[in-house]
Amino acid sequence: MRRQWDVLAVISAGGVLGALARHAVSRALPASPTGFPWGIFLVNVTGCLLIGALMALVTHVWPGRRLLRPFLGTGVLGGYTTFSAYTVDIVRLADAGAVAVAVAYLAGTLLVALPAVYGGMVVTRWLVRR
Amino acid sequence: MAGTSVNGLRLTILVGEGDRWRHRPVYTEIVHRAHAAGLAGVSVLRGVEGFGARSRIHTDRLLSLAEDLPMMVVMVDAEERIRGFLPQLAELSLGLITLDPVEVVR
Amino acid sequence: MTVLLVALGAAVGAPLRYLVDRAVQARHDAVFPWGTLTVNVAGSFVLGLLTGGALAGAVPGSVTALLGTGFCGALTTYSTFGYETVKLVEAGALGQAFANVAISVTVGLAAAATGYALTV
Repeated sequence: MRRQWDVLAVISAGGVLGALARHAVSRALPASPTGFPWGIFLVNVTGCLLIGALMALVTHVWPGRRLLRPFLGTGVLGGYTTFSAYTVDIVRLADAGAVAVAVAYLAGTLLVALPAVYGGMVVTRWLVRR
Repeated sequence: MAGTSVNGLRLTILVGEGDRWRHRPVYTEIVHRAHAAGLAGVSVLRGVEGFGARSRIHTDRLLSLAEDLPMMVVMVDAEERIRGFLPQLAELSLGLITLDPVEVVR
Repeated sequence: MTVLLVALGAAVGAPLRYLVDRAVQARHDAVFPWGTLTVNVAGSFVLGLLTGGALAGAVPGSVTALLGTGFCGALTTYSTFGYETVKLVEAGALGQAFANVAISVTVGLAAAATGYALTV
């Protein structure tokens, strides 16, 4: 059970760091009621790029570090990126009449963030093997 | 390829990626000891999915289950050398250790 | 003050995501990422409630910072959703990868819209 507590503690600490970074980015790029939510878009895309890179690094460069994946992957990047702000912003934009922006945000995040995970993973694996 | 073959033993040890021995991965310690004992060779292979004695599934496909992925340490050598090496593994409190008789093709 | 509330919410939200994810995944075969889907849908619903309530003037900014930005933000995740989808693609399970995206987005949006409509 002690094993479980230290994992929870590093996830919590990582989650705080990630959430504060997200908060800082969305403060720097505030969303207007009908404008494209660039702040959270940027957060989710960069967070996806980083998780791809991280998982490749944990596997190929830093194997056997028990708390690294929970801290950086589940904690920091999990706390940094967010799904709830993504869905709620789409609903909020549609409700404010900005349906085109809502659809562009919905599709745009998926089309950039998901390839970003793959890109982060592939580029990191390639760099590691050089 | 009709080569001659000699009899030997294959030692296989399954550990978790996070298992430690004095602050370093236990598989690194096993390789170190096997090397010091002059065994013919050792390989450590990374697993991507599995479960062990606690029946908890580990897989690298799901982030929250990606801790402690399985690692397999394999070595093949003459029977007396492998058996002579076994006492060195006793204090490492490892999980599953198996021995199989093998034919080494020369 | 806002920063502290965000930190406090995230300190609870992130480990709760891990615990829920593992608890949900333990009940299913570990093929489809049900755990991440569960937290993302639940967090979308709660943030929908808070956002609607904030627009209606019923939820103060401090509560939005604590439960919205902090708790819901850390409870839900896009990076794990993305990683698990890409792993399904890499494993050749294209149907499951597509289903994960489609279900996460549609059910997540439905949950967000329901929460939002209840309080706005």
